[in-house]
Amino acid sequence: MTPAEVRAHWMDVLTGDTTSFPRATAFLGFELIDIDIEAGWCEAWFTLPSAATNPGGNAQGGFISAVLDEVMSVAGSIVQPPPAMSPTLQMTTSFIRPVPIGQRLKGRGEVIRRGRAAIFTEGWLWDAAGKQLAGATASCIPRSLA
Amino acid sequence: MSSDNTADTKPARTDAEMLARFQNSKKRPPCSDTLGMRLTEVEQDAKRIRMDFDVPQMFANPTGAVQGGFIAAMMDEAMSTCCIIASNVTMTAPTLEMKTSYLRRLMPGQAHVEARILKWGRSAAFMEADCFDHEGKLVAKATATAIPMAFKRLG
Repeated sequence: MTPAEVRAHWMDVLTGDTTSFPRATAFLGFELIDIDIEAGWCEAWFTLPSAATNPGGNAQGGFISAVLDEVMSVAGSIVQPPPAMSPTLQMTTSFIRPVPIGQRLKGRGEVIRRGRAAIFTEGWLWDAAGKQLAGATASCIPRSLA
Repeated sequence: MSSDNTADTKPARTDAEMLARFQNSKKRPPCSDTLGMRLTEVEQDAKRIRMDFDVPQMFANPTGAVQGGFIAAMMDEAMSTCCIIASNVTMTAPTLEMKTSYLRRLMPGQAHVEARILKWGRSAAFMEADCFDHEGKLVAKATATAIPMAFKRLG
């Protein structure tokens, strides 16, 4: 596969009809902004549903981890020949500010190092005004689904 | 000031009363219902709780297993509830940072989380949690830090 074909494959998986998304992805209101398969990053919009609301009226922390895991896992997947995924071994999330429900948020996942046996990723979550709401780092393993 | 930290004083409610209070609550936040959460054990002396979950299919990733973030959501739920109980339902503890290790995959369905408080201080709380699948196999472990706050200071 040429790099253009690899990119086209991932773009097809990550856009298309939202009913074809994995259910966890659809739950988080995932809308792809762009990917870079060579640099290894993914940016997407997310809108958390009211089902993710905590007693304080904002997003419960685990759902924030779910959003970051989503873009970070895509970043870890797209640096491999498709079809592939990058199961997360360990992830640390910092909850920097309250995350609102029902508002468009911008997420970014980036590969920090692509090793043979391990991939390290980093993630960011911003509100529409560009304020950072959360951040994460993770380690995962490359896994071909071919 | 010392009344803010109730963890070292005698529980005002028995464990059974505390459990009933949560099980009968009509003010459950949406995230608890979304996760299919049910508090099933409270041990105030040990600062430990158990929560059972009925994890819905809507948390599945492309392989059909539960996406890791939703496992984190279950453990965050358990650790946060552990904090509320430690304060004798006078405080909540927004999570600052949480680290999760994913040992095995978890399929949607029955699961449970055991959470405990390692330290309940005035300005910081430290918690940990274990998530088990329906066979009792450990699928994930988490540690977290949080800041105890009186309920009224929220939002």
